[in-house]
Amino acid sequence: MAEKEIKSIDPATVEMIEKAASEGVSIAFERAGKMTACPIGAEGSCCSICAMGPCRVPLPRGKEETPEEKKKRRGVCGATAETIAARNFVRKIAAGTASHGDHGREVAKVFLEVARGEAPGFEIKDEQKLLQLALDLGVNIGNRSNKEIAIDVGEILMKEFGKQEGELLMLKRAPIKRQEIWRKLGVAPRGVDREVAEAMHRTHMGCDQDYQDLLLHGARAALADGWGGSMIATELQDILFGTPSPVASQINLGVLKEDEVNIIIHGHEPYMAEMIAVVAQDPELIAYAKSKGAKGINLAGMCCTANEILMRHGVPIAGNFLQQELAIVTGAVEAMVVDVQCIMQGLVEVARCYHTKVITTDRRAKIEGATHIEFDEHKAVESAKAVIRAAIDNFPNRGDKVRIPSYKTDIIAGFSHETINYLLGGLFRASYRPLNDNIINGRIRGVAGVVGCSNARVTHDDVHVTLVKELIKNDVLVVETGCAAMACGKAGLLVPEAAAQYAGAGLASVCEAVGIPPVLHLGACIDNSRILMAATAMVKDGGLGDDLSDLPVAGAAPEWMSEKAIAIGQYFVSSGVFTVFGVTWPTTGSKAVTDYLFKDMESMYGGMWAFEPDPMKIAKLMIDHIDKKRKALGIDKARERVLYDMAMRRELESV
Amino acid sequence: MADKVEKKGNKTAEVLGATYENGKPEGEEMGKWRQKLGNREEKLKYLKTGERYWFGEEWYGSEKRKNPA
Repeated sequence: MAEKEIKSIDPATVEMIEKAASEGVSIAFERAGKMTACPIGAEGSCCSICAMGPCRVPLPRGKEETPEEKKKRRGVCGATAETIAARNFVRKIAAGTASHGDHGREVAKVFLEVARGEAPGFEIKDEQKLLQLALDLGVNIGNRSNKEIAIDVGEILMKEFGKQEGELLMLKRAPIKRQEIWRKLGVAPRGVDREVAEAMHRTHMGCDQDYQDLLLHGARAALADGWGGSMIATELQDILFGTPSPVASQINLGVLKEDEVNIIIHGHEPYMAEMIAVVAQDPELIAYAKSKGAKGINLAGMCCTANEILMRHGVPIAGNFLQQELAIVTGAVEAMVVDVQCIMQGLVEVARCYHTKVITTDRRAKIEGATHIEFDEHKAVESAKAVIRAAIDNFPNRGDKVRIPSYKTDIIAGFSHETINYLLGGLFRASYRPLNDNIINGRIRGVAGVVGCSNARVTHDDVHVTLVKELIKNDVLVVETGCAAMACGKAGLLVPEAAAQYAGAGLASVCEAVGIPPVLHLGACIDNSRILMAATAMVKDGGLGDDLSDLPVAGAAPEWMSEKAIAIGQYFVSSGVFTVFGVTWPTTGSKAVTDYLFKDMESMYGGMWAFEPDPMKIAKLMIDHIDKKRKALGIDKARERVLYDMAMRRELESV
Repeated sequence: MADKVEKKGNKTAEVLGATYENGKPEGEEMGKWRQKLGNREEKLKYLKTGERYWFGEEWYGSEKRKNPA
């Protein structure tokens, strides 16, 4: 595990960490310093799935394990270190897939209610995306209304969660060769929930105890996330709220305003945030805010909800995962409105030191000590207004400990795979051809997906930013989602001007010609499915092989912390993408399991995992992999172009 | 629009300057390219051409030689 000396490279974060310390407020940065991570749990060597344990089977420290020692490394039931590490790993995948799957299911539920006219305030905003899904799913379009089509689309996709047999419908979007690999290995997922439930069953005490078989199902469950729950969520959100297009905004704690009611929307599912973003512009509510002494209502996002409302409304971002407590430490936040996933329980304790109200809004995620105002999609406008009014009512309670860091950075976000296609070719010749051509001619070396969280065990934002700067310097185009994108946004990498400043000459020339940043923001962590689709378009356009595993691409989550990140990593690897994780690796307690993930998977899936905490070394691993793929494609060297004269042509024809 | 005229030997050429508008886009609707497609017919046509990787009637590229999925 990487030791950290500096807590963050972001000056706003550092300023608020110091403010928290001076005011005696406990935050994650401080707790991580005081509490060492459990070394046995960190390597996946703790089994707590039955009451005969928890059993600890750690690797011996500082020496090579003898065969006799290895034999003794077993739990009370006899489970080996391999079984224990694999079970823990598969359970992380199951939790991640369940989280994205439940997100997708909730979106599908709201989507169907909107289609049936049962959720006033929401509407179908993107007819084209609806038609896209209808074509995908074989839904009759004809002269039917959008609502009629949407009901069919929603009902078909809702069934994907509970489906027991067959294959997930979205798998057909993948390259043909990739589909064949999944079928051959028996990992094509049947239904989203089915694979999660089976993963939990297989990892129950005394069930699947063959680590290779466990990991095979881990791949199946993860694919049910990337090509299932996550993809369904992204597609339906696009139909309801609009497919993202590039939008200018700003990021960091400096987006908070001293003289306005500051409301931070934090979490993952976007419908409540969408409605708050709309309702916050209501003149009646703005007048109400003024009646309490504020000049207006200022919305800002946090974590992945931030990405959702940034891409579709340009709402600025206050910060990424590790900045959630620090936003409250500014003393200027009237309400921290949260729904699901990545909400630190520590928020409530921090809020007690200031005036901030932590408002939970989802029936599945309540926090002791927080105010609960449940969001009801049937009364969306009223629910959003209730939340905003609660924030406004809290404005007069603001204390004298207000200090908003001055740091904020310009960003451009919202590059869906459809928008990249459009930007590269225009409305009448939209195409991934220019990207493929520039990869083939070497101006662009390859493409890297850098995603994931931020983690208090490493210097905040540093691993992301150092890695991405090194990649673009070496002409690797970077696509990002989640808190990774926010880290690079704060560092000024999400604007077109960054190409001239940080990118290699080849990548910079392409970015300048198209007018795009060298680091493209593709959305929230649920939107990693957009990266799968962009990569699939690259394959299908031709010239870069037949499969995702042929592409000169690589992935990384260098500051990961959540189980969702493991599910995401596993579905990328199982889709053929080399993927590097930083911070720590959860199977090092078993060499066999780690070798399977880091080596054997490549021969099965064409993709594999790697672990490396050092960002420069991560960059080297990724670039080496990209170069390996370029060589395999025969595009590693500039080829001499020969102009054939008539004699040479005749010679060719005579062969 | 031509920014200036350059002379090289006997020939003159108009040098084009920036063709973009100055400043930043404003308002929520700016930059939303999908709104350029007006009706359902245009949207479906775009899907078959622009998104031809999945919806094109005739296929080309890396998977042309393969059997349909």
